Amino acid sequence: MIHERYFGRGFLVVSASLVVWGALGAKLFSLHLGDNEDLRERARRMHQVQREVKAPRGRITDRTGTILAMDLVTQDVIADPMVIQDRGQVPFVSFHAARLLDLDRAALDSRLSRPGRRFEYVSRHVPRDRAEMVRDLDLVGLRFEPQLTRHYPLGHLASHVVGFTNLEGVGSLGVEQALDPRLRPVSGLVHLIRDGRGREVPGQRLVNLPERSGASVELTLDATIQHMVEQALDRGMEDFNARGAWAVVLSVRTGEVLAMASRPGFDLNRFRASSPEERMNRVIGYTYEPGSTFKAATLALALDHGVVRPDDVFFCEHGRWFYGGRSLRDYSPHGDLTVADIIQKSSNIGTAKVLLRLGPERLYQGLLGFGVARPTGIRLPAEESGVLAPPAGWSGISLTRIAIGHETTVTALQIATMMNAIANDGLVVRPQILRRVVDDAGRELERFEPELAGRAIRPDTAALMRHLLARVTEPGGTATRARVPGYRVAGKTGTAQKVIDGRYSDRLNIASFVGFLPVDRPEVTIAVVLDEPGPVHRTGGRVAAPLFAQIAEPLMRYLDVVPDPEPATASARAVRPPGAGW
Amino acid sequence: MTRASAILALVALALVAVGMVILSSASPVQGGAMADFRLVQRQAVYLVLGLVAAVVASRIDYHHWQALAVPLAVFCLILLGLVLIPGVGVEVKGSRRWLAVAAGVRLQPSEPAKFACIAVLAWWMTRAQRRLDRWGPGLLVPFGILGLFCGLVILEPDFGTTALIGTVGLLIMVVAGARWRMVVPPVLVGGVGFAWLIARDEVRYRRFMAFLHPEQHADTAGYQVLQALYAFVVGGPFGVGLGNSIQKRWYLPEAHTDFIFAILAEELGLVGSFGVCLLYLVFFVNGIRIALRTPDLFGRLLAFGIVMMVTVQAAFNIAVVTGSVPTKGLALPLISYGGSSLVTTLAMCGVLYNLARQGEMDRIRQRPRARKSARNTRV
Repeated sequence: MIHERYFGRGFLVVSASLVVWGALGAKLFSLHLGDNEDLRERARRMHQVQREVKAPRGRITDRTGTILAMDLVTQDVIADPMVIQDRGQVPFVSFHAARLLDLDRAALDSRLSRPGRRFEYVSRHVPRDRAEMVRDLDLVGLRFEPQLTRHYPLGHLASHVVGFTNLEGVGSLGVEQALDPRLRPVSGLVHLIRDGRGREVPGQRLVNLPERSGASVELTLDATIQHMVEQALDRGMEDFNARGAWAVVLSVRTGEVLAMASRPGFDLNRFRASSPEERMNRVIGYTYEPGSTFKAATLALALDHGVVRPDDVFFCEHGRWFYGGRSLRDYSPHGDLTVADIIQKSSNIGTAKVLLRLGPERLYQGLLGFGVARPTGIRLPAEESGVLAPPAGWSGISLTRIAIGHETTVTALQIATMMNAIANDGLVVRPQILRRVVDDAGRELERFEPELAGRAIRPDTAALMRHLLARVTEPGGTATRARVPGYRVAGKTGTAQKVIDGRYSDRLNIASFVGFLPVDRPEVTIAVVLDEPGPVHRTGGRVAAPLFAQIAEPLMRYLDVVPDPEPATASARAVRPPGAGW
Repeated sequence: MTRASAILALVALALVAVGMVILSSASPVQGGAMADFRLVQRQAVYLVLGLVAAVVASRIDYHHWQALAVPLAVFCLILLGLVLIPGVGVEVKGSRRWLAVAAGVRLQPSEPAKFACIAVLAWWMTRAQRRLDRWGPGLLVPFGILGLFCGLVILEPDFGTTALIGTVGLLIMVVAGARWRMVVPPVLVGGVGFAWLIARDEVRYRRFMAFLHPEQHADTAGYQVLQALYAFVVGGPFGVGLGNSIQKRWYLPEAHTDFIFAILAEELGLVGSFGVCLLYLVFFVNGIRIALRTPDLFGRLLAFGIVMMVTVQAAFNIAVVTGSVPTKGLALPLISYGGSSLVTTLAMCGVLYNLARQGEMDRIRQRPRARKSARNTRV
């Protein structure tokens, strides 16, 4: 083209160029518009990631809103060992990470030194401020991922009721287990666009499924009352050298559990360090022979059926009575006692004689009416039922033994429910621990109303029993130590020998006291049980009754209950309430 | 008919404008933090420099390049030599291609060398027109010149630029009338030698194998091309929209330099990528027209060389990015980020503009064709 001579050459070059450009154009068409589903799919897989968006598990609060369990945002610290190795920084990184995260340096060093690995947890669930300190060092090959961690702000408090979640986030004890489906969050799923370094491209998120927080559960517990109870139990464990101690506080009319505590206890935030022994909620999970506390129900049944009157007199055999070929003993010997005094002095012989008048069938049915020896239906896992055989299986002396709380086992919660029926005009209410379930927007999903389980005794019998049981804490009774200044207390002590190797031990006791106050307008029922107190004092009146008082006294103030009028006047009209026709 | 000079100016400015827009889209990502436009700012400075160079070059009568060709070539060869000296040349990613001019400012001597090579070859082929039958002036001298340039560039090493200068140089020789019997055998030998160098160089060899089997090398050598192909496919007919490229976000290496065309294709789709191809095609056809209207042989060869230098490089780059040929490190002229390339290419466009204007003046003065051929052989 340059020289006319070489025009052909120029033409050749230009033509070749045009062919090349044409080919490139065609290539562009085929790339942009052609059938490249495979490449498009691979690009999509490379750009888009499905990521699970975690939502927090629901909270557990007490009735006042105090948080007992919640999810906290923490950080997982994750290493890319290959990057750290490539930079030769393994010792440096492990030194600083171990220092700030309280890890074993040598172990971390060897984990980061493993060849060919791209992912290694350095530490999980690291609190935010700690993670921030590590992040500030700008260590190579470390990244941080937000994580939700279950946290129990009050740690020890009500640990058996609240329960915990295992490392997979599944509730494994207490309310955490019982209401796991409610508390459990629903993870969301998002498709997001990531850049070549794996980070999210902002503003390109496609939400497919929104996450949903778990619902929160409000308990009937009151953290303040719970604290009073646990303080008293801790003192009792120490003072009486007990192996275990447990207590429950019921609101009389509703059956709401205001406090439920068990010792030995554990810290929910360190649940892995606890033993099964410590994790056991003895209030619902430990069955024992109730002993004399049972007399409150058995004698109430005898009075309810009219087989005896409070002032009927029974001869108490001076402490030792042979019946059915076996001897029955009293703790202290008595001669003639009225039914009222049998309760006050807790005479086994008197009680047995009274119940012989009632007969097995009526006793058995009556006890079932009180709700003993079967699950209360409280919504907590691992509730024990206890044992009470039907009359068909009774021996000749069974009636006299069941009358005084032997040959049967119960839980403390059942005993509290039983005593609560006497406080509540004979109505048995189902004890409940759950108040309501609320979603994260504050909408109420479920409300638990008080539940009536039935009537155990007539209201007038209940009123009579309240006054007879009040005499237990008055001078001459077995539980004077359960007295609370300003309030009349009704209740019953219990001291049962533990069965060791099939025989009653004469040293190891279960000592208990169950009662309510104020007598004329009961607000709360409290049951306190101690396992193997000793070595000096072992009876319910000496060890359980004082703990009852220690709980009840601040509780009355906290609940703002109006004190009773002067004890002298109250005592004068105690035995014979006005209008009672006996 | 529309004036070739105006078309040239419009096409060049359009390409530069497209380049700045796409660079603005890719720069914040490649530069690091968002809203960081350092690369765009630097390129804008070079754009101003380049436009000044273009205006200056367009005002210089191209005949002066005939006299300046040899000194310019010597100067560029010295620069190319300096680059190879460790401590003088700046090494980036295993190649020594840059001279540090001032803090943060680097010059790539192979860019001005492209023009120097065109000028000196045009000068020689014009001067030796009647002696082309002889082996010395017809083959050895032009090959010697080409060999000097290519040899120094291949030592950096920069295989892409070597191949480009070699190809364009050969094309100039061919259209200037070099004898086939002299040119073809050494080209064959050179081709074999080049292949041997590729086979010997591990990086280049792997690139070649990756080109043949991209999927097998998806995470190594074929990675870049595969990422570029994704960009085309994702772009579709109309693209994902300006600024919306995902491939620029740490997937596609060199997204702002050698592979910027892929980002353009992803964001603007076939419309954008084919449009840019059309612009280069217009540049090519218009450039050939300018060459044909240039009255003297040196001017024609100069115009032809410039046109081929720009369009062959563009075609090379697009072929690489679309996976049509093995990977070569070549920028997309007037669009890719890179100061030396932008300034040199714009300056060459300025020279081409001067050629166009003089050709147009000639036609306006209605010079007889005889005078033109007489002037052709004047030198």
